[in-house]
Amino acid sequence: MTYTEWLREDRLPHIYCAGCGNGTVINCTLNAVDQMGWKKEETVFVSGIGCSSRAPGYIMTDSLHTTHGRALAFATGIKMASPDLNVVVFTGDGDLAAIGGNHFIHACRRNIDLTVVCMNNQIYGMTGGQGSPTTPMGALSTTTPYGSREPTFDLCELASAAGANFVSRWTSYHVKELTRAIHNGLKTSGFSFIEAAVQCPTNYGRRNKFRQVMDQIEYFKTHAVLQQKADRLREEGKPLPENSIVVGEFVHRNRPAMGVKR
Amino acid sequence: MRLVIDERRCKGCNLCTMVCPYRIFKQGSKPNARGIVVPELDRPERCANCRLQALYGRTLCGMCQMICPDQAISWQEEEKNEPRKVAIEF
Repeated sequence: MTYTEWLREDRLPHIYCAGCGNGTVINCTLNAVDQMGWKKEETVFVSGIGCSSRAPGYIMTDSLHTTHGRALAFATGIKMASPDLNVVVFTGDGDLAAIGGNHFIHACRRNIDLTVVCMNNQIYGMTGGQGSPTTPMGALSTTTPYGSREPTFDLCELASAAGANFVSRWTSYHVKELTRAIHNGLKTSGFSFIEAAVQCPTNYGRRNKFRQVMDQIEYFKTHAVLQQKADRLREEGKPLPENSIVVGEFVHRNRPAMGVKR
Repeated sequence: MRLVIDERRCKGCNLCTMVCPYRIFKQGSKPNARGIVVPELDRPERCANCRLQALYGRTLCGMCQMICPDQAISWQEEEKNEPRKVAIEF
């Protein structure tokens, strides 16, 4: 059985723009879920609002498409009501970091047995390219036409500080590593958070000098720095290269978790 | 096994041309009926996954299938001894 059996073939092709990285993250997540050997009846995909949150609509399981930012609140409810279900949450950066930030840190604190896949495209893609809490400094968007002047959220640091059991970050270029990270996250009991940096060619790329889809993937390829290398540079007292994306598995621990399968 | 690109799903983002280690994809030249320039296959028999997947019983590389945002790339079983043109490189 391959992961393509989890897709709702009648709904494809999906509505994502040409080259949108969300489709890649769906592939990786379904591949990881398929490796777990879960049944379709025992798996639930939950999502909020946004481009990323359309993903469960293309997956042949029970799913919830909930209100903006409240995907984690609904997922907590599912997991508390029936702990035997496997719950995977798809969410975006505007959904998780902006309006759902409070639910995020409290889900991390409670350490509920969920796996959260955050597709971080660094912008509000669906509503027309407004700046989000993860829009990098100096990036252009419709609400920051002279370049963003705000520091950004580091979602992985936020999750590990709030108490998540598994925290990892990869990009949509690193498909094999992302699949492995999601697989490890699904295996870990407790809150697993996987951030996937994805490209948004329509609303982020074309305003920020990535005219082609491949340009932004090339950027992920050249600017990704492994966590081990970042640690080594920090020990040596050298600064990280500018605009680098630190990737890797940040936290893997075994804190007491809520809602674990009996 | 034979690699096929589903023209009904492909949106022409050309990510597969970038990630394939054997460079079996190349950018297409003319739009199809939906107005999308689908990548073309350039000597796909060079792909190790196409040749050896059945032998090993698992997907070997599969980068193009995994990175394809539109789930358009898949492998099909071939008829045995299906005649086809093969270009030999020296």
